[in-house]
Amino acid sequence: MTKTIKHTFYFNQAPQEVWDYLTKPELMEQWMMPSDFKPIVGHHFRFTNPNNTFVVCEVLEVKPFTNLAYVWKNDWTKTKTPYTSKVSWTLTPVDTGTELVLVHSGFELLRDLVSHSGGWAFLSTKLRDLLNGPKK
Amino acid sequence: MRAQALDAFQVIADPSRRQMMVMLSKDSMTINSLAQNFDMSRPAVSKHIKIMYNAGFISITDIGRERYCTLKEDGFNELQGFINYFDKFWERKLKKLETILNNKAKLK
Repeated sequence: MTKTIKHTFYFNQAPQEVWDYLTKPELMEQWMMPSDFKPIVGHHFRFTNPNNTFVVCEVLEVKPFTNLAYVWKNDWTKTKTPYTSKVSWTLTPVDTGTELVLVHSGFELLRDLVSHSGGWAFLSTKLRDLLNGPKK
Repeated sequence: MRAQALDAFQVIADPSRRQMMVMLSKDSMTINSLAQNFDMSRPAVSKHIKIMYNAGFISITDIGRERYCTLKEDGFNELQGFINYFDKFWERKLKKLETILNNKAKLK
């Protein structure tokens, strides 16, 4: 089973310019979704889906022009199939442009945890390891 | 002991079962050797094993007098639907970003 999503794209723009499209809500909205994102570790934010549901997120990593990661989960108060996952972006300068790598990983479905609050810290790291493959 | 049928989400929600699956992710184990790692009655361990078996997380093979548990992928497949959905989602979104940035480059 595939446990991780990975996409690599190349752009002619420099990492600084691509970074703006990952971190400025007015630019993110043009290709993703509206959000109240801020590039601050620990910041809680939401993307608004076209059907007015939310993707609930928390910023995990910000390394300007290089690295960005956030928790990506659905609205646990509104769903019967809560999941959590991690989205991370890596920008690398190549020639005059940028290589952008998206990794969406760590998927877990947590139907029974809806009643719990603050679920992210609660998650078993062991299970995360299991879903990401055995450690060798 | 009867074990009710739980779905994949309920199966992984229990810490003991998660721990059993972590142990089984390293190697197959007999029910007895699994049970030794848990501070619970043997019937309680058997019940957890039945729940994982019923939901497709493990298979059970009888070898001699021992019953061996092996981790199985089926139980994890429910996750695959989400993963496939997001794979397409990101591909679509990133192509959109590509179009925006290409058009921007042309305008310069």
